[in-house]
Amino acid sequence: MNGAQHILDAFHRHSIDTVFGYPGGCIMPLYDALVDDVVVEHVLCRHEQGCALAADGYARASGKTGVCIATSGPGATNLITGVANAHRDSIPMLVITGQVPSGLIGTDAFQETDVLGMTLGIVKHSYLVTDADEIPDVMEEAIQLANSGRPGPVWIDVPKDVLLQQVTASADQTTRPSAAHCPDLTQAIQMLRDARRPLLYSGGGVSLAHCEQPFRRFATTSAMPAVVTLKGIGNAGKHNPDNLGMLGMHGSLAANRAVDECDLLLVVGARLDDRATGKLDEFAPNARMIHIDADSAELNKLRPADVCLRGPLDQILEGLTRAIESHPLAIDDWRKQCRQWRTTGGFSAADNEEPLSAITGPAFTRQLSRIAPDDAVIACDVGQHQMWVAQHYEFDHPRHHLTSGGLGTMGFGLPAAIGAQFANRNSTVINVTGDGSFMMNAQELATIRRYRLPLKIIVLDNQCLGMVRQQQELFYDNRESQIDLDDNPDFVAMARAFDIPALHIERTDQIRRGIETILAFDGPMLLHVAIAREENVWPIVKPGSGNREMIDESQQTTRKTREQVA
Amino acid sequence: MNAQSKQTQPSYNLNCRMAFEPAALERLCQVVRIRGFRIANMAVDSVGEHLDINLILEGSRPIAMLQSQLEKLHTVVEVALAEAPLVRSRVG
Repeated sequence: MNGAQHILDAFHRHSIDTVFGYPGGCIMPLYDALVDDVVVEHVLCRHEQGCALAADGYARASGKTGVCIATSGPGATNLITGVANAHRDSIPMLVITGQVPSGLIGTDAFQETDVLGMTLGIVKHSYLVTDADEIPDVMEEAIQLANSGRPGPVWIDVPKDVLLQQVTASADQTTRPSAAHCPDLTQAIQMLRDARRPLLYSGGGVSLAHCEQPFRRFATTSAMPAVVTLKGIGNAGKHNPDNLGMLGMHGSLAANRAVDECDLLLVVGARLDDRATGKLDEFAPNARMIHIDADSAELNKLRPADVCLRGPLDQILEGLTRAIESHPLAIDDWRKQCRQWRTTGGFSAADNEEPLSAITGPAFTRQLSRIAPDDAVIACDVGQHQMWVAQHYEFDHPRHHLTSGGLGTMGFGLPAAIGAQFANRNSTVINVTGDGSFMMNAQELATIRRYRLPLKIIVLDNQCLGMVRQQQELFYDNRESQIDLDDNPDFVAMARAFDIPALHIERTDQIRRGIETILAFDGPMLLHVAIAREENVWPIVKPGSGNREMIDESQQTTRKTREQVA
Repeated sequence: MNAQSKQTQPSYNLNCRMAFEPAALERLCQVVRIRGFRIANMAVDSVGEHLDINLILEGSRPIAMLQSQLEKLHTVVEVALAEAPLVRSRVG
C-alpha cells in the first residue's frame, strides 16, 4: 500500500466513514485511493471552508472525529477559518492536506504555502510528513490526540510524493492506558455543603467529555440553580426548573443576578470566557470557586479557583453526586429565590400575539422551539439570530445546539448543518441564519442539492448586519457604518435556482404555517423571514462592563424618551 | 512610548526540552509571544532526538500561565523555571 492508501486504512481502523473534502493537484493520490474505497463516504463541498465547517458540524452533532481534506496552497488556506473555529471550540478534527513534492518545498512552487508554519496557532498539533513510513504512526497518534483530553484539530500535511511512496511500516496500535484518575473530592464536597447559595456554571466541556448523563444526574440530585455558557446550552435540560439559562453579555437577568449573588460557583467544563463573565473584577464577587476542567491550562488562568479538579469528568461528577445523595444540600431558600428571578427575569415577554404585526426574531424563535421536534438539531450562524436562538429556543441536549462560540464565524451555520445531517440522515436539522451570514457560504446550497439532504434553512432577513448595527446604535452614537445589506438577492429565487423550494413570510400570523410547511416537506426547503431592521437583542452588557450593568429594552426606551424630551 | 519612560518587567529563566520535529522552535516561540512574553535571550542545543532550549523571558503576566500553555504542546517533554524571577528595567 502507498501512503494515501494507509491514510484510508487508518480511517477504517478508527471507524471514520464520512469525510468532507475538495480535490486538487497535490492531494490527487488520496483521491485516487478513494476511487477503490467502499467504506469511506467522501462529501464534496463547494469550498474548502465549507469542508472544514461541515466536518466541524459533523463532529459536534455526532461526538465523532470530523475529517476534512484539501489540496496544497489555496486549498489549505481556505480551510483555515474552519480549523480555527474547531480549535477555539475544542472540536475533534483531523485535517489532511496535500503538499507540493518534497523536493519542491521551499522553491515557491505552484500552489505551495507553508501550511505547517501558518497553522501553528490554530491546531492542537500538526505534522509535516517527510517519509511515507511515518504515516501509519502519525495517523494513529493524530486521531488519538484529536480526541483525548481537551479535544481539538490535528493537521497532517503530506507531500504528494510521500502519498505515492510504498509504506513498509505498520501502525503501532498499542492502546496507551489513560493515566487519568479521579482527584480527591473531599474539599469540594465540604465547600458544597458549606455553601448557602451555590450555583452550577457549565459549558461546552460537558458534551466534549461525553458526560451529558452524569452531569444531568448531578444537576438533578443537587438541585442547584444552574447557568450555562453559549456552548453549554442544553446541559441542564429544558425541563429543569432550576435552569436559569445563559449568562453573560446577552444572558438572562436571572442568570446574571444569580452569579452576582451566589456564594459558591461550581464551574464545570467552562473557561470563564469574557463574553460570559463581563468585567472579570466584578464577576461573582461574593463567590468561592471550584473549577473542573480537562485542560490544566484553563485552571487559574483568568480567576484563581479555591479548588481545581482535573480528571475524568464522569468520575468527578459521579463522586459529587454520591456525596450529595447521602447528604442533600440545604439550599431551599436560595432555590426559591432563583426560581423567582427565573419567572421575572427570563425571556418570556417576547411572545407577540398581534397577527398582522411584523415578525420579531424572539417571537419567531419561540414558535420554532414549540413546533420543532425535541431532537431537532439547530445550526446557527453568528449575529443577532444566534443570540435569539440562545435565549429563546429551549434545548434538551447540548448536541442539538451547534453554534460558533469562541471564534464567532459568520458562515458557520449552513455547512455545519450539512455535517450534522450526514451525522444522522434521519434527524431534523435546521440552519437558522441571518442574511449576512447566509451569503458567506451560500455556495453550499449546491452540496445540499447534490446529496438531497432534507435539511431546512431559515433566513432571518433584516437587510443589514444587525449585531454591528445594534452596537453602533448603542455604543457609537448611532453612527451607522457599512452595515446595509439592502441589495441582498431574492433569497427565495436563489434557493429555487439550486432546486430548493422556498417560502417567504413577513407577518406574525404566517409564522406557524411557515414553520410547519418547511418541516413537513420531504426534502430541503428554505424559509425566508423578513424582520424589522431596527430590532435589537435584549438585554445587552456593554463589552468590557460588568454583568450587573445590563441594559434592557425598557431602559433604552427610557433613555431615548429622556433625550427626546431634552 | 516616551524614550525616557522606563518599563519594569519581571524576567524569567525557563528551560524547555522538546522533540526535534519540523517547526519545533516556531511552535514554542509563537506560544511565548501570543501569551504575552518577550524573548530576551534564547539558546538551543540538540541532544539526540530532543532540543534543549534555554529562554530568558520578560513579561508582566504570571509565568505559571505560560508554563502550563507550553506543557500542553504535544512535543514538549518538560518545562522548568530555572530560578526566582529577576526584575529588569529597560527603556520602553
